[in-house]
Amino acid sequence: MMYRLEAAPEEWIDRSVPLSFVFEGKRYQGYRGDTISSALAAAGVPYLARSFKYHRPRHILSFANHDSNTLFQVDGVPNVRGDVTLVSQGMRASAVNTFGGLVDDKARLLDRLARWLPVGFYYKAFHTKRLFPRWERMFRTLTGLGAVSLDAARRTTPKRYGFCDVLVVGGGPSGLSAALAAAAAGARVALVDESFRLGASGLGLHDGERRATRALIESVNGSARITVSSATVAAAYYADHWIALADATRLTKLRAKAVVFSTGVIEQPAVFRNNDLPGVMLASAASNLLLRYRVAPGLRAVVVAGNLEGYRTALGLHSQGVRIAAIVDLRADLTAEDAAAAAECAAAGMAVYRSHAPYEAIAGAAGAVVALNIAPLAAVPRAGVPLAGAPLAGAGRPEPAGRIDTGKLRRIECDCILMSVGWAAAANLLLQAGGTTRFSDALQQYIPSSLPAGIFACGRLNGVYDFDARVADGARAGSAAAAHAGFGVASGADIARADRCPSHSFPIIDHPQAKNFVDFDEDLQVKDLENAAQEGFDSSELLKRYSTVGMGPSQGKHSNINALRVLARYRGVGVERLGLTTSRPMYHPVPLKLLAGRSFNPERRTPVDAEHTRLGAVWMPAGNWRRPEYYAVSGETRAQSIEAEVAAVRGGVGLIDVGTLGKIEIHGPQAGLFLDRVYTGKFSDLKVGMTRYGLMLDESGVIIDDGVIARMTPEMFYFTTTTGGSATVFRELQRWNALWGLDCGLVNVTGHRAAFNFAGPLSRELLQPLTDTDLGEAGFPFLGVRTGRVAGAPARLLRVGFVGELGFEIHVSASDAAHVWRSLHAAGLPRGSRPFGVEAQRVLRLEKAHFIVGQDTDGLTDPFEANASWAVQMQKPFFVGQRSLRVLKTRGPRQTLVGIELLDPARMPKECHLVIEQGAIAGRITSVAHSRTLNKPIGLAMLSPELARSGGEIEIRGDNREILKARITATPFYDPKNARQRSIAAA
Amino acid sequence: MSALEFKRRNGCERFGLKGPLAAEWLEARGIAVPAAPNRWTAAARPSAIADPGADDESMAGDVLLVARLGTAEFFLEDCAAGSRLRILEPAPESPQSGVYPVLREDAAFSLSGPGSYDVLAQVCNVNFADLELASQPVIMTLMIGVAVLVVPQMVSAWPRIRIWCDPTFGEYLEESLGTVVTESGGNYRR
Repeated sequence: MMYRLEAAPEEWIDRSVPLSFVFEGKRYQGYRGDTISSALAAAGVPYLARSFKYHRPRHILSFANHDSNTLFQVDGVPNVRGDVTLVSQGMRASAVNTFGGLVDDKARLLDRLARWLPVGFYYKAFHTKRLFPRWERMFRTLTGLGAVSLDAARRTTPKRYGFCDVLVVGGGPSGLSAALAAAAAGARVALVDESFRLGASGLGLHDGERRATRALIESVNGSARITVSSATVAAAYYADHWIALADATRLTKLRAKAVVFSTGVIEQPAVFRNNDLPGVMLASAASNLLLRYRVAPGLRAVVVAGNLEGYRTALGLHSQGVRIAAIVDLRADLTAEDAAAAAECAAAGMAVYRSHAPYEAIAGAAGAVVALNIAPLAAVPRAGVPLAGAPLAGAGRPEPAGRIDTGKLRRIECDCILMSVGWAAAANLLLQAGGTTRFSDALQQYIPSSLPAGIFACGRLNGVYDFDARVADGARAGSAAAAHAGFGVASGADIARADRCPSHSFPIIDHPQAKNFVDFDEDLQVKDLENAAQEGFDSSELLKRYSTVGMGPSQGKHSNINALRVLARYRGVGVERLGLTTSRPMYHPVPLKLLAGRSFNPERRTPVDAEHTRLGAVWMPAGNWRRPEYYAVSGETRAQSIEAEVAAVRGGVGLIDVGTLGKIEIHGPQAGLFLDRVYTGKFSDLKVGMTRYGLMLDESGVIIDDGVIARMTPEMFYFTTTTGGSATVFRELQRWNALWGLDCGLVNVTGHRAAFNFAGPLSRELLQPLTDTDLGEAGFPFLGVRTGRVAGAPARLLRVGFVGELGFEIHVSASDAAHVWRSLHAAGLPRGSRPFGVEAQRVLRLEKAHFIVGQDTDGLTDPFEANASWAVQMQKPFFVGQRSLRVLKTRGPRQTLVGIELLDPARMPKECHLVIEQGAIAGRITSVAHSRTLNKPIGLAMLSPELARSGGEIEIRGDNREILKARITATPFYDPKNARQRSIAAA
Repeated sequence: MSALEFKRRNGCERFGLKGPLAAEWLEARGIAVPAAPNRWTAAARPSAIADPGADDESMAGDVLLVARLGTAEFFLEDCAAGSRLRILEPAPESPQSGVYPVLREDAAFSLSGPGSYDVLAQVCNVNFADLELASQPVIMTLMIGVAVLVVPQMVSAWPRIRIWCDPTFGEYLEESLGTVVTESGGNYRR
């Protein structure tokens, strides 16, 4: 049982400020500076969590912000990391992943059902289609960590960019030294560390190292060139030295000229039965709990050792008053340094068991560890059979050098087991940066083998373990990084790597009853990994995906290396043959709120946005614009308002804001030739003062945009694009212009010009008093374009059949827009004019069967399929997509756009509902609406060519699988001879 | 200018020019242009639009801003009271071989005072604090998803940042930057 020790000068807590908080409904007390984990540990809480799969009781494992054992629901926020989250007065926390609370978790029964939940169970369960819904319900109920509150308030965070010359990731001795060296060369240095304070392993149990580290920290804090960010995780590396830094309140996107990774190593657990019991933890966790928070790991500890650090930890804890019952060393042969440490431990009264293995931890009634059974490692191997506990010698291959002798089990009473068997390089960022690693047999660790330009590594990550060597290695890396960034000259020679092995090669002990966990996040045992390999998932990548090893909250920080060792033993190869997986960014979990930042969402508003608001616009998004869906009128439903807007256009006049259309000018003697190349039609022969419809394709012949091209002068055209396509079309045109090098220039005035469509049989009559342009049929024919003034403002007027009525598109500068809009609106009001929105526009266009690019066409539609052959001039020398169209024309259409009439007006399909022919999909509805003008429901559908040619009835599968019938019909539905837009009757 | 301040700038006249003869066209009208792209200059107002009585303290002595956005692209702004800059602007429909007028109805803003760089660091990935301002740089970049034109200066020892964007993004950029400025303790009023 853990408990708080008396105060010490260097502790991180302020005992003068007690804090009261609630965990699982019970009130506890911590101190200012305590994390949730340390406060609960100090309070003697027996366990803090339930495991993910088997709901086994868990307590602190790493105390390093890695494992899932210390995730909590805190004040409504799920999966708060208790190792690094400070307690606060009144905080309310609870465990995640429990049913009925931590102690009485009903799902703990799953631990007894473990044998029926083998590896891959999740995937196998879904093999039977019939049972899929049942399994899905069960998995959805049982899995997941924490509870998301759907009505929680949105928490915005101030994301920011940062800049420096040299970024040093990791504030241990080598990182501190690197920062100082880089700063000394004149570089601006950013030093980040995930801990609350700098120093990391340098502030461990070794007095001399602590003193030296404190001196380094003082120098760093005194340097004006070094900016320190504590409690900050470098969570991802992106191209060009772009690092994501996450702290409690924000994400910083930091751009560095050079990066030093001094990310160190992560302590790894030993794998033995019940190695997950509360009370079993990493030695570094015990050390940090004690030194920083003055929490003793227990009253009677056993240290499982596989390296020198195990003995050092034992001596350190002993000096702090923790009783060490025994040291169980997996190794038979010790270096002189190890042997001296072992002798020191023995002299201090600790029992030292060399060449012994922790066979199984024993749980007491409360679920926590009460004893450890250890067994000697027999010297004589069973012939030919690789055994657990055997070191990997030579080229890393499993070598049967010993076996567990279960006939000589020895029980050691204890309330905590501290594991010190080795380390894994924290190389995730280095790998993301494009560095490579190789497995060192001598160190039993992956070490850097190549580094990209501007990336440097030092310290234990680099395989350098001796304290002074780490400091020297940091100085070398910092100096080199500064030189890369343009400061000084790189100095310092490469530092020799450790001459002792800090990690045991195979700290994994088999047990017939299993529960020897490799991955604590996912409850994966040794046999799970072996079974996965046996089923064929025998590479590191496949093993990960099938078994989910390394896919939990720790992202493999405690499991990947041991999983590789298990796989290596199974395959009879060395670990180096298997390779590390590269974590995708973010390699360390980052709260979504930090990624979302302030939730900036660029939205465009036309220059008459305020006029729409004044007129009651109901908004809808259209691309990145906000547009009026319709204008709400008191006493009218949505449908009635839309119908009235349509009726106004058909019977009188309506006004719509089409300023969202892309608006582009092209100038120059070869402007016409340019347009001939980018559109399917011909424009170099277009008369000045006239417009023509344009269809734009990509190189595969697919329709990507359409618009109207107006020739203003012999060398200047003005043309529109679709609302959604304006930015991409302009970008594409610029690309073509650069590629072709024609004598012309493009100007995008989309946002700088407003545009309105004043449409309806009364439009000419009502507009004429506002303009000096002659709107008469002779002076301004259909498809003409004129410049003049409207309501006193310079304007371009285009006479186009936008909605199938006599109409004028009026383009003015943004600054004149509001005045012109108000003038047009006022002119129409006495005659029943209404502003109309996107929905009415869709109905009006549908009545004319004008297809909408992106709605009635898709990413495969060519002009032949959209019945737009009339807009294609195949005889032109060249246009984008022409070559593909020749092929497509030969092949014939795969689909054809047709008009349809619904036979039952009471049952309307929706856009994207499927057309079914003889039980198979034969098309889809692309547009559908009820036309009050025609008094019938109409639509467009993309059908198989055979069905389209039949001209008969089609069946549409609606919601709830009901079948709706429609008839293929000729288009346009309304005014098929286009007399109204041409104003033939009026003429 | 001792406080962080953000405001929309109204009342200025602007236009742009593109085309192979754009520089010659400007110089023929007495407007000196920056020698290199991505630079700006405060040119003397040409006699055709000179307005000796006008003064604009807020522009800290700038007479006529001429920004060179590319080899053959320019942006002009005149914020002096009584400015008649647009007298010069060629009409798009009037043939001017090699000179393409660009309608500029930009939304324009000013960010100034201590903390300006910190605000910019929250919305843009350009390191404005590191720019060599003596070279009068013009920055074209993205700011919270919007293409912007930025002219940074130091005025009375504090940064003054002029920002222009497409007017249809004006509301969004103003609201967003205004929020950041306010949360940073600065002054912003719509």
